[in-house]
Amino acid sequence: MEQTLNQIFNLVTDPYTGIAAWKERLQKKVVGCMPMHLPEELVHAAGLQPVVLWRSNEPVTLGHAHVYTFNCGLTRSVVDDAVKGKLAVLDGIITYDLCLQARELPFIINRNAPPAYLETVYIPGPVTAPVYKDFLLENFRNLKASLEKFSGQTMTQDALRQSIALYNRQRGLLRQLYALRRQTPGLIRAKEMLAIVQSGMLMPKEEHIPLLENLIAELPKRTVSSGKKARVVLSGCMCQTPRFDLLDLIEEEGMAVIDDEIYVGGRYFFHDVAETGDPLEALAERYLNRTIPCPTKVDWTNHWGDYLVDWVGQQKAQGVVTLLVKFCPPHLCYYPDVKKRLANANIPEVMLEVEHEVVSLEQVRTRLQAFVEEIR
Amino acid sequence: MEMEREKREEKPKYKFNRLETLKLIGPWVDAHWDGLRVAKKEGKKVAWSMGPLFPIAYAMDIPCHFHAGYAAYCGGRKGVPPLLEAAEAEGHILDACSYHRLHMGVISAIEKKLPIREEVMLPTPDIVLSARLCTEHTHQSDAIYRHLKVPTIAIDIIPAHRESDFKMLENYTKRQLTEVAIPFLEDFCGRKFDYDRLSELLAVLKKASEIRNECWKFFELVPSPWTLWDWGVSIAPVFYLMGQPKTVDYFQQLKAELQQRVDQGIGAVHPQENFRVYWDGWVPWSFLGPISRKLLSFGANPIVGKYPWEFFPHPEGIDPNRPIDSIVEQWYSYMMSTRSSPEFALPFIEESVEKYHLDGMIMFASRTCRLWNLGEQDIIDEIERKYGIPGVVLEADMIDPKFFSEGQIDTRLQALFEMMEARKRRRR
Repeated sequence: MEQTLNQIFNLVTDPYTGIAAWKERLQKKVVGCMPMHLPEELVHAAGLQPVVLWRSNEPVTLGHAHVYTFNCGLTRSVVDDAVKGKLAVLDGIITYDLCLQARELPFIINRNAPPAYLETVYIPGPVTAPVYKDFLLENFRNLKASLEKFSGQTMTQDALRQSIALYNRQRGLLRQLYALRRQTPGLIRAKEMLAIVQSGMLMPKEEHIPLLENLIAELPKRTVSSGKKARVVLSGCMCQTPRFDLLDLIEEEGMAVIDDEIYVGGRYFFHDVAETGDPLEALAERYLNRTIPCPTKVDWTNHWGDYLVDWVGQQKAQGVVTLLVKFCPPHLCYYPDVKKRLANANIPEVMLEVEHEVVSLEQVRTRLQAFVEEIR
Repeated sequence: MEMEREKREEKPKYKFNRLETLKLIGPWVDAHWDGLRVAKKEGKKVAWSMGPLFPIAYAMDIPCHFHAGYAAYCGGRKGVPPLLEAAEAEGHILDACSYHRLHMGVISAIEKKLPIREEVMLPTPDIVLSARLCTEHTHQSDAIYRHLKVPTIAIDIIPAHRESDFKMLENYTKRQLTEVAIPFLEDFCGRKFDYDRLSELLAVLKKASEIRNECWKFFELVPSPWTLWDWGVSIAPVFYLMGQPKTVDYFQQLKAELQQRVDQGIGAVHPQENFRVYWDGWVPWSFLGPISRKLLSFGANPIVGKYPWEFFPHPEGIDPNRPIDSIVEQWYSYMMSTRSSPEFALPFIEESVEKYHLDGMIMFASRTCRLWNLGEQDIIDEIERKYGIPGVVLEADMIDPKFFSEGQIDTRLQALFEMMEARKRRRR
C-alpha cells in the first residue's frame, strides 16, 4: 500500500515525468483536458489518452509575461508551463469557455506553444431547456469528429460504451474509498485522498483501477489514532487542487475531513454515465445533471447552499471548510450566498483562499484554530 | 513668488475642445434611469438586463435597465463607492467583478433600505433577463434571483473562437431567443411578443448606427476632431437608449459638428494632437476624468478601442424585417460579441494601426474583470514587432476606486510617452 501511495504522490507532484514515462511505455498520444466538464471518455474512445490539466509544481515566472497576476492559479500555471515548454508532454489540449479566463487560454497557448492538436468546444452554461441538450450534443459530435481526425481512428459506439464502462468502474472505486473515509474518519488523510483522485486524472484509468483496488483492500488495515477529531467537510475548490500544506493544517488543528465536494474530489466522480442508450446522449445527460449544484452552470433555482445544508446534515459534519480558489469568478459570485445559507442553518463555516503560490500558513492556522474551537 | 511660478508651470499645456452635441447625453441618461424609478412608482413592471437582452424588453414596452450601462452611469455620477461598500458588508469579496458587487450593493440597499442617493439607485426589478455574453452575466442574474426571487431567464451568447462557428452559434442563440427567452417574456406579460415593435426599434437603431459609422470616419483624420472618450459618452444612443428617434438626430448633429471642426481646422486636443493611441479594454467609467487629464497632459488622444467599437459596428447587416435573425447575426456574423476576443481583436488592432495612424497602445486591464484581459500582453508584443509602436498595461478597474493607483498609472504612462516620443523622433 505504501508503494501505491508513493507512486500516486510521485505522479501528482511531478506529472511531467510521470506522464512521459507511461506515454513512452503505452505509445499513446496524450490530450490535456480543461477541468470540470469535458467528457474524458470521448478522448479515450478515440484511442487517445486524456489527462486533466493540472497546476504546476513551481511558482509562475515566465508565464506572467502573458497572463496577469490577477488570474487564477490554474490559468497562470498552465500558461507558465506552456511557455516554459513543460507541456510538450501533451500532444493535444482541449479547452472550453468554462469561465472568462478559460475563454482566452487557447489564444495564448496557440501563439506561444501550440500543441499538435488544439481544440475548443462550446459547452452551454444553462442546463434546463431542450435547446441546451441539443447544443451540447452537437458540440460533442463535433469534438468526436475532431478527435477521430487527430487520432486517425474511427470511434465506434461500442468503443465509447467501453470507455464509459471503464470510467464508471473507476468512479465506483473512488466512491468506495470515500465510503471508507466516512466510516473511519482519519483513515485516509485529506492530502492522500486529493492525490488519489488527482492521480486518476493524470494516468490511464486502466492503470489507476488496480491502484484503487489495492488501496481499498489495504487501507482498512491502517491503525487510526483514537483521538477525538472534529468532523468537517470540504466545499468548493473548482478546477484545481488546493495545496497539500493547507489540507495538512486542517488536520493538524484537530479536524478530520470526512467528505468533500471539491472538483479534485467528490465532484469528479459523483455521477456515473448511463451505460444504456446512446452513449453521447448519456455523456450529455451527465453534464446536464443539476446535482451537485455547480457555480459554473446557470441554474438560478437550484441553491448550492441548500444542497450543502442537506449534505452536511447527512454526513453529521460539525463544520464546512470552504476552499475558494483565488480569482475564481463563478465561486466568488456565489460564495457570499452559500455562506449566508450555512449561517442561517447554524452550520459553522470557514473560508480559506486557495492560491498557487505559498501563502502565509500561520494566518490560516490562526483562523483554523478559532474555527475548531467554535465547532468542538 | 517661486511657488506661484511653479504652480503656473504645472498647469496643463493642453486642453480638450469639448463637443457641444455631447451635452445632450447627460439629461438623456438621467431621464432613462429616472424613468425606471418613475415607472416603478407608477406601478409598471420594470426589468433588469444582465447582458444585452434589453431590446426584447423594450419590444414589450417594459422599462429596462442594462447592467454595464448602469455601472457606467453610476460611475459617472460618483455613486459607486457606497454601493460597493454595501456589497462588501454582505461578504462580497474584492476579487469579484465590480459590476457584480455594484448590483449586489443595490440589492443590499433595497433589502436594508440603505440611504443611497436616489439618482444612482435602481428600483427592484419585476423580471430579470440575462444573456451570458460574459459568464459573469449569469452569475449576476443567478445571485439576483437568490435574493429577490423575481422571474428570471437566462440565455447563452457564447463568443466564438472561430469564424467557422458563427452559424452554429447563431442557430443556438436564435433557438434560445425563440424557445426560451421570448416565450418566458410572453408568459410574464400575458401577451404575444411584439415583433413589429422590435422591428421599429431596429430600424431606428440601424439609421442611428449608420450615421455613427460616418462619425467614426472622422477618427481617421489627423488631427482627429473628437476623442474615444467623446465616443464612449455617445454609446448609449446606439445601445440602451436604442430605438428613440432622437438618437438619429443626435448622430446627425454630432456629424455636422465634427465636419464643422474639420472645416475650421479644429482638433479635439488643443493646441495640437501630439500622440494618437489605441485604448484596449473597458472605458474607465469611474476614472474618465483623471485618466483623460493624464493623457491630455502629453497631448495624447485616444482614437480607437476594441470594446467601444463593439456596439452594432455593422448596421448595414440589420434588417428590421428579420428582427431576431438580425440581432443574432449582429452578435456573430457582424462581430458584436467577438470583436474583443483576442483571436479577432488582433487583426482589428493591426488594421487600426495604419488606418488611424496610431503611435502607441494602452491596455486597460481591469482587475476584477477577466474578460478579454488575457492576450493583451501578447497583442502588445505582436503589434510592436510588426509596426514598431509601443504599448503599456495600466492595471485598474472599470469602477472600483480601490484598484485605481495613480502612481502606477503615471509611471507607466510616462514610460510609454517617452518611448513614443523617441520613436517618433527616429521616424522624422
